[in-house]
Amino acid sequence: MNRQQSQDLIAAILEIPHEGELQVLLNGVERLGTRFNDCSISQNVLKQQATLTLSARLEQKKTSVSINALDDQELIKRSVEQVFATCRHMPDDEEVMPALGDVLPSTEYAFNAESDTIEIETVGAWAAQACSAGAAAGIDLAGLLAHAKMFTAYGDSAGGFAHERYHRSNYHVTATGTNGSGWAEHQGVSIAQNDVMTATGRAIDKCAGAQDPTVFEPRPVTVILEPQAVGDLMAMAFWYGFDQRAKDEGRSPFSDFDATLGRLSFYSDPAEAAFPTVAFSSDGQALAKSVWLDEGKLQQLFTNRYWANKNGLAVKPAPNNLVLSGDGTSLDDLIRSTDDGILVTRFWYIRSTDARTLGFTGMTRDGTYRIENGEVTHPVVDMRWNESVLKVLDNVVASGKPVATGEFMAMAMPALKVEDFHFSSLSN
Amino acid sequence: MFDLLKLACNTASKAGCQFADARYLSIRKQRVVSRDHALSSCSDGDDRGFGVRVLYQGAWGFASSPTYTADEIEKVVAQAMRIARASAMALREDGVKWAPEPALTLDFKSTCRQDPFAVALEDKADLLIAANGVMLKNKSIKRAQGFLSFKRVQRWYVNSEGSELHSDVTSSESAIWAIAVGNDDFQERNWNAPASNQGFECYRKQEFLNQAERVAAEAEEKLSARLSPEGDFDIITDSENLSLTIHESVGHATELDRVMGYEVSMAGSSFVTRDKQGDFRYGSDQVTLMADNTLENGLATQGFDDDGVPGQRWEIVRDGIFQTYSSGREFAHYIGEERSRGSCRADHWSSIPIVRIPNLFLMPGKTPLSPDELMADVKHGLYFEGMDSFSIDQWRLNFQFGGNAVWEIKNGKKAGMLKAALYQSRTPTFWNACDATCDENYWQPHGVTNCGKGDPMQISQMTHGAAPTRFRKIHICRGRDS
Repeated sequence: MNRQQSQDLIAAILEIPHEGELQVLLNGVERLGTRFNDCSISQNVLKQQATLTLSARLEQKKTSVSINALDDQELIKRSVEQVFATCRHMPDDEEVMPALGDVLPSTEYAFNAESDTIEIETVGAWAAQACSAGAAAGIDLAGLLAHAKMFTAYGDSAGGFAHERYHRSNYHVTATGTNGSGWAEHQGVSIAQNDVMTATGRAIDKCAGAQDPTVFEPRPVTVILEPQAVGDLMAMAFWYGFDQRAKDEGRSPFSDFDATLGRLSFYSDPAEAAFPTVAFSSDGQALAKSVWLDEGKLQQLFTNRYWANKNGLAVKPAPNNLVLSGDGTSLDDLIRSTDDGILVTRFWYIRSTDARTLGFTGMTRDGTYRIENGEVTHPVVDMRWNESVLKVLDNVVASGKPVATGEFMAMAMPALKVEDFHFSSLSN
Repeated sequence: MFDLLKLACNTASKAGCQFADARYLSIRKQRVVSRDHALSSCSDGDDRGFGVRVLYQGAWGFASSPTYTADEIEKVVAQAMRIARASAMALREDGVKWAPEPALTLDFKSTCRQDPFAVALEDKADLLIAANGVMLKNKSIKRAQGFLSFKRVQRWYVNSEGSELHSDVTSSESAIWAIAVGNDDFQERNWNAPASNQGFECYRKQEFLNQAERVAAEAEEKLSARLSPEGDFDIITDSENLSLTIHESVGHATELDRVMGYEVSMAGSSFVTRDKQGDFRYGSDQVTLMADNTLENGLATQGFDDDGVPGQRWEIVRDGIFQTYSSGREFAHYIGEERSRGSCRADHWSSIPIVRIPNLFLMPGKTPLSPDELMADVKHGLYFEGMDSFSIDQWRLNFQFGGNAVWEIKNGKKAGMLKAALYQSRTPTFWNACDATCDENYWQPHGVTNCGKGDPMQISQMTHGAAPTRFRKIHICRGRDS
């Protein structure tokens, strides 16, 4: 739905008689998803969905209702009546905030015109070509090639309006040999045949180097984490630890924290070239660049409007992407500078182990290699690790250039060289 | 409602599809969330649409739409066939072998004595805010929260083999939790009211108030708990804690699509390869793990799955020996079974069915044994209660789990709470270390409503269960440095 169509629909909804304040959020997606394994396509799905969320506010009461039939005017009218009827029964909540009423420009940082032309057959053909490359190499390939065309629009009865179209591409591929596997991805707002084949080739190469791994007895050691591993870890750290209110209330690893965490910067920015995103939140707030760590120094964390107003702080909405700066060292140079270490392609199943210290556990996966005297010498058996993100950030000694990663959240992350990383047990 | 679904299947069959099915879903949801003395949100959802799956020239195609009209049906069938043609660009050499299933007519309705959508919002608010109030009376508690979540899924299913199926399933879920701050620390303790396919009748205010008082007291106690010791110890898991371990180390490990590599690139594969069927020692002879998609009030009890196969009960592990997998119609032939186990489900009308964990539980001990008697035989160990940190590798072998509350056991009795305790093991090592489980009087079900699998991720639900169970010499590590 384009800007004018969204504006017309939202205006028509806001004209439905209602008391109090009404906020309207529209989201639409057309997503092609092709999965393959054993070098053949196993699932192929076209998903077309739209969601209309209506939020009613009566003074300090607020409720919402979502429906998915945008062309059913009677249902929309009934839903507006229902959301206000429910709202009257809500107890007061002092944290409810009025709509902002801001009209936002359409930045569309994450819109890619070329991506609009990708069709079912295009995705199928690229997936088939990847499968052929795997078959030619005698390696099992499994993966997902997905491309989504989306829009989001917001309007409120205080006059606010925002709309953006955006794209999201996601290709990841696992290459499996007789005794070891490799993995690679392409993430971003666009994808081309070359991106698919480059990632496929990288996964096949990783797989070739991952056969017949040997045991590295788990111990603290220097690691080089490739961008996906860094992204998975930093995303978990952000959502567990970077909340200003929790910090202020003593419920955060950063409560009473005044140390510096290494020297990297950690921020969110919808205009980030490596992985741009929509520039407004689901309640119509503009998203600008927010810095969470400035060269390792903790800044104000994400702060909602209620907490900001109450405490005289700037509003810093929850972000749509995460970026960790890097010093631009190449992966080869990171390896070359390491005498005794482990190269990690990918992490898996990261979970919190201790909220107070921002401690997490997880596994390595699909390409874990021994580094000795500046060279990758052989693959090693995957390992479990237990480590605090505070310590990881503090122990970064070199880093790469941020690149797009993250299947579930847009991120741009560099490879990191981290000293004293705690591996704790062996996997398979 | 069936007519348009039949139109979809007939249109696909006439166009040359080997198989077609069509599902229409009406999904109603409500989630009410409390924060301290207020409700922080109340969100309702009403979501309807249909999906058509076709097997055409040996390849799958799937398309869906929220617009339920004859014109749209024909358009979506054409889209599904176009997608199948694209799938055929990289066709599986041996093609799709679809397990036969007789045409079925079935109408399934879950038990729902009190419709949760008819209960006044004030009553839900009262339940949650009263529980929060009890927790906040404890001065260490700086945040009290809770939620009630309800879902009703009405499903109509038709396939080209003549099946016409309908289900109407209502599920309910709730939890409360408290965060205590003090002693240079913060700690969270929760109570999960068992999620199930039932209505509001399963929630009683007095139980919430009783649990709230205990939760707050134990959150406060966690602040001053000792750091866990490390090393090898005997452990006892309560039924909720072990439910998650069953889910991760048995449920996912025995999904046949994973074993066949269909999930390699996302959720992973499994160490339970086909050569292990029938003679692999998964656990000790105390361990019988039963799958049962007919379990009363079980979250995976839906009458039939999204391949059109009725719910079934089967043993995955019997007396410690691995028996068989969870499967769907596309996968049964891989293990020489003529019929699917009926465990293929989709989480939405726009999602394609995939093999999912069934209701799956550890059978209780056959001889009378109480939790006190179970603990009496532990000289120095740990007792894990509730779910906390959980992580497992992509083969479902190496795992590490915590508990929402953990106590040290000394000389057969609880001896104070521990902080940051985690048990780490490998699946067969762990289950072979099981030497006793309490009898049926202590068996409890626990629902899982956030099981993620597939790519894109689909969220499914199922019920697990166990009685308190003992495992000998399990490695204990901790999530916090001393």
